[in-house]
Order: sequence, then C-alpha cells, then structure tokens
Amino acid sequence: MSVESRPRRPAATLAPAPNETTPTAPPAPAPSAPVREKKPFLLDFFPLETADQTRLSRFFERLKEGTVSTTRCPKDDLLLWPPRTACPVCHGETLEWVDLPARGHIYAFSAVLGGAPLGMEGEVPFAVGLVDLEGVPLRLFGRIEGHPWNELRIGQPVRLESYDIGDGRWFYRFRTET
Amino acid sequence: MNVRDVALVGGSTTKFGVRPSTWAELAQEVGAALFREIPELRAEDVDSFFLGAAEPERFAFQSHVAPFAAEQMGLRPHRIIQRTELACASGQSAIRSAYAAIASGLSDVAVAVGVEKMNLPSMAEANSSMACVMDRAWDGPHGATAPPFFAMVAQRHQLEYGTTDEQMAAVSEKNHRFANSNPEAQFYEKKFPRDKLLRLPIVAPPLRLGDCSSMTDGAAAVLLVAADRARRYTDTPAWIRGTGQYSNFHNLANAGSLTEWSGLRHAAREAFGRAGIGADQVDFAEVHDCFTISEIVEYEMFGWAAPGRGGQFAADGQGDIGGKVVVNPRGGLLGCGHPLGATGVAQAVEVHRQFAHKVPAARAVPDPEWALVHNLSGSANVHSVMIYQAGGAA
Repeated sequence: MSVESRPRRPAATLAPAPNETTPTAPPAPAPSAPVREKKPFLLDFFPLETADQTRLSRFFERLKEGTVSTTRCPKDDLLLWPPRTACPVCHGETLEWVDLPARGHIYAFSAVLGGAPLGMEGEVPFAVGLVDLEGVPLRLFGRIEGHPWNELRIGQPVRLESYDIGDGRWFYRFRTET
Repeated sequence: MNVRDVALVGGSTTKFGVRPSTWAELAQEVGAALFREIPELRAEDVDSFFLGAAEPERFAFQSHVAPFAAEQMGLRPHRIIQRTELACASGQSAIRSAYAAIASGLSDVAVAVGVEKMNLPSMAEANSSMACVMDRAWDGPHGATAPPFFAMVAQRHQLEYGTTDEQMAAVSEKNHRFANSNPEAQFYEKKFPRDKLLRLPIVAPPLRLGDCSSMTDGAAAVLLVAADRARRYTDTPAWIRGTGQYSNFHNLANAGSLTEWSGLRHAAREAFGRAGIGADQVDFAEVHDCFTISEIVEYEMFGWAAPGRGGQFAADGQGDIGGKVVVNPRGGLLGCGHPLGATGVAQAVEVHRQFAHKVPAARAVPDPEWALVHNLSGSANVHSVMIYQAGGAA
C-alpha cells in the first residue's frame, strides 16, 4: 500500500456535527506586550564570546576596541586562523596574540541572493568574499559591506572592521575602501 | 594482514524529491525496496549495518539514528552497527565502513544505507542546517553556505582559465538529460535545455539555479558481502577494488587555491593505486556535481581533462556517452537532487545497475568494466573515491 496515495480525510468530518453546540470559548486574555523570542543559540551562528564560554575571549575584547587579532605560535613562527588554543604543527599550547593588518584585497567574492540562513533573510542580497590581508600570509573569509555585490571586483582594497551585532556581542567584516 | 574481496551485490533507492514523508518513512521505504530488489536477502543474514546520515539532528531532530533506521528496515545487526557522518559524503562513508568491516573479516553481510530528509516547512531553518557544515563560529556568521563558496570557485576558474557560463550549463544540461531517463530522479520529468538554464535566476553569482543541486528528501541502500557469498545474491557483483580519501582543511581561510583541489588528486591517486588502474581505464564515473563547476574541476583533478580545460571538456561532450568517460549517467546531484547521506549510496546503486545492464538505453554505458564514485564534502575540503570492477570472479 502506498501511504502517500491514501486520500486525506475530508475536512468536513472535522467540523462539529450539525446538532452539536459549539462550546463557548473562554474569554481571551488581555493583550500584553509581545515577547520577542531570543533566537535559540544553536540556530545563531555568532559564537559565545565571554571568558566563561571560550578561552579565546580576548579576541572578542580586542574586537570591541576595533581591532581584529589572532593567535601566533612563536615556536613555529606560524600565524593561525581562526585563533586557536593549541598549535596544529607543534601542538604547543603557548600561543601569543597579535593584531592583524586591517587592509586587504579581494581574492574572490560572490553574494547570497537567496537561501540565506535563519536570521539573515533580511540582509539578502549580501556579498561575501575571500580577502588576502596585506603583509601577512592569511586569506580571510567574510561579509563585504560598502558596495553592492555587482560593483565589487577582484583585487579591490577592503578594510577589516568590527561591529556590534546588537546583543552585546561583536563580530568582524570587511568594508570596501571609498 | 589478509584483506578479503568485497562485492556490492545490489541496492535500491527511493524516489528523490520533495517528499511528503518523514525521515523514518524514507528508511522504511528504502528497506522495503531493498528486500524487493534482492529476493534472496534474509534479514537475519545481515550482521552489520552502516547508516550514512549528515544532519538528522537538524532536519529530523533525531539522534541515535543507526538503530532507529535499522528498526525501520526490520534489521537486527549483531556485529557492527554505526552511523557515519561526513556531510555530503556520509553515504559513501557508510559503504567504505562496510567495505572495511567485510574486508577485515569482522562482517560477512552488511547493509549500507543513506537517509536524508531536507525539505522542511522553514527553508531558512534548512539553510541554517546546511550552513553548519562550515566552521559555524568563524565562517557561519558571515553567511557562508555552499552556493557562495562554490560560486567563488567558479569565479576563480573563469578568471584563471576563461571558463564560461555556457560551459557550466553544458554540465547541467547533460546531467538533467540523463535524469530524464531515471524515474527516481528529482527532475525526472523536467527538461533543462541550455538556453533555459542560462536564463534561470542567479543564486550566488556567477551560479544560476541550474548550476546548483537542490534540497532533496531521499534514501538509498546497498548490500555488501564477502566474496564467497556474492553468488547467493547476484550474477553481476560490483567488486570494490580501490578506495581513497583525503581531508586537508576545514575553515575557508585555509582552502588555498580554489581551482586546484589537491585533496582530490591525493584521494584519486590512492584509489587508483589500490585498484591497479589509471584514470583512462574508467568507463563511467558518478562524481559529486553539487554544482556544475564542481564537475568541471573534477574532470581536471581526475586527469580526464588538462588543468583549466574542464569547461571545454564539458562543452565538447567528453563527459557524455561517446565521450572520453561517461560522467554521471544516473543524472548526477544536479538531476537527481542531493539528499546528503543518500547521495553516495545512490551513486553505488547506479554502478551495480549499470554493471547488471538494468538501466534504460538513454543512459546505458556500453559494456562497462570499471566505474568510479566520488563525493566531496563541505567546501571541497574532503574527497572520497571508490573504484568498482564488474565481472565474474573475485
């Protein structure tokens, strides 16, 4: 038997029989201010930033000061992205914080014109890209603000900036140079 | 250590598409189909069970899915039961695990299944689920999902090699045409001529809708057995001759070149080396065309096309029947849809059907001996390759 081919129950059978009386509905409660539901953490991509949640909280503190930083392994002279707590090469756990250069150039870009994740639907269309930072061997992925996607070009200079996401947390993105 | 020969002796898939069925119902459906497809199969013969499922916690809010699926399919595995998760390659991962278990002697008869339910009332929630395949804390907040990543691959390929939108559309046209001969494909009844593909809306520039595989519900299952049992189930076993896998990064910042997928070259070398064949001996390939540009890069990484010439290879019909190697005769992810965990298993089902000459003429590969299956996962950061041989003896 194909379950899907089974006809749906006719809607009419769900209505009260003609001779039944519909019970009186209780009075509606007085309207109150709408409660704005907080997005569940596990459907919100922004990380938890505080020291009770992550050993990388210094990254987010530095973001609030306007600077994107990362970790570096002094033993391997290796700049690591994203910031880490252990070096992937020597596995040492003594890493140091360094500020990243703010300026970079677009290596590749595209845009999200539809199919955005939950909470980002209102931001469509938005541009994203891979940016080579000036003077360091790092190519970071991020949102690109400042120009619409169809006015961006490969090689275009952009700057890293930090921004308040609105609930006390901060994140980073790129902005085209004017 | 002695490694035993392993045969894939049959398989089944559900209809792929937007299905009015739950995750559990898809598992029941593919189980029923598997037992219909292999009448000699008895549930008590199945000692091990491997379930490829990428995101059941997200799409179905269900964990502990291997025993859940085994119950749906009426199986009581008593040696190994486990789930394999490798995003878009979860299904092939299940087959590889079953292969390893049988080759080592831990299992004699194993079922490998892939199940994915992706279409939900909230498309935004489904898109969030897809986005957490990436590095959710560092790439996710920017809005990283598969389309913009593969769009950047396409942009760089166009810049570095002059690949065109028309060449990408040639891939999509071919795979959709093959899907028109596959009733289980999501787009079985839809025609996508090249001029129509080039007019579809842009999803992530330069990728249009027809360059992207879709969100799909579906399940697929295969039966793998030790060599001495193969003839109980089929006259046309597909022998697993080689496998390879490579993972070289995860965060997008560590991708390196977008157009040179070194991980795929490594995985292919390993698989070909184990099989003892070269790329030129492959009669047909089921490769991971999650996007048209993926198939173009794959032509190059497998060595069928010269570096940078994958677009021209597509436009010249070299991946079509009569070309250098038949690529995605099942219809590919573009034509069949891409239920993450089910895809890799459905590709293996196609290998067995081609070897058994059980496919319509429009997609039949003439006298195939060697077949290759490839899945990438995530942002093409992991590659999984398997090589199958048709034939009589083990």
